[in-house]
Amino acid sequence: MTSQRDDEFQDPLEDYDPPKYKDPLEEALAEKSVTEIQASPHTVIPADMSVQDAMRKLAGQDIACVMVEEDGRLAGVFSDRDVLDRVALEFDSVKHQPISSVMTTEPVCVYETDSAAAALSVMAVTGYRHVPVVSLDENILGIISPQRLTKFLHKYAQA
Amino acid sequence: MGLLSGIEKDAVSELALRKAITVEPSSSVRQVVKQMREGGLGCAIVVADDGKPIGIFNEAMLRHLLIESPAALDGEIQSVMATPFPWVRATDTVETVLEAMETKNSRFVVVLDDDGKPCGLTGQKGLMEYIADYFPGEVMVQRVGTKPIPESREGA
Repeated sequence: MTSQRDDEFQDPLEDYDPPKYKDPLEEALAEKSVTEIQASPHTVIPADMSVQDAMRKLAGQDIACVMVEEDGRLAGVFSDRDVLDRVALEFDSVKHQPISSVMTTEPVCVYETDSAAAALSVMAVTGYRHVPVVSLDENILGIISPQRLTKFLHKYAQA
Repeated sequence: MGLLSGIEKDAVSELALRKAITVEPSSSVRQVVKQMREGGLGCAIVVADDGKPIGIFNEAMLRHLLIESPAALDGEIQSVMATPFPWVRATDTVETVLEAMETKNSRFVVVLDDDGKPCGLTGQKGLMEYIADYFPGEVMVQRVGTKPIPESREGA
């Protein structure tokens, strides 16, 4: 038996007009999550690692950025830009200091559930080239680099 | 016009080009690093006497230099610069920047004018800013810091 109330029910989403995209690239950026962009492998180092050892990690793995962990949480990132800004001309005096003294603290990160466009917007707005990806409980999941995002764009630009 | 059409049709000159840092081949690496630091740019273009580019030096090369031969900081930039390097014409399409970054695995692309002289620098940042314009909602809600969600409610 159907009640009067059920008959009168109106779906609040019945008039929902889903977004329309002009091409596959726009759709992918808006609808795909950041997990669709390659975020691993990634390298995490402890905050007390020396600057010199951290740079050896970068050079040895030929990567431009490592994430720095302290007490199980993302404490910062150390990238080529930090090398340019805070290490290159002072290398002899800072090479034995902990990486926490020269890293970028409070990096802007994205959640695994954010859209690909969100990661891209972080790069565009903040100027950071590497965007860490964290889970909803803030565990480190990976990092999105310019090269990885470029591959994503290229893939859907050709779709 | 959609994003993809824009990428295929818009000219490189429509990207927000960065002012290129140009240096002479005989400049010391240390001096070039200072200029890059002051200019807030991760790449310098080495130009010949006629103003045409002959190589580039970027942050990744600096990282390798510091680990492998830090004494080279006092050497000439021409001995450590990369050549060839990715470049596009200002009149090329944005798509060529994307392709140059993908195929050369480079974050920086030198933009040349009709005379073959550098008129700017683009790459990852310019491209991301261009694409982000298509997603104003995402740009407006950008969070700052590692704690995007407040731990306690604001106000009463």
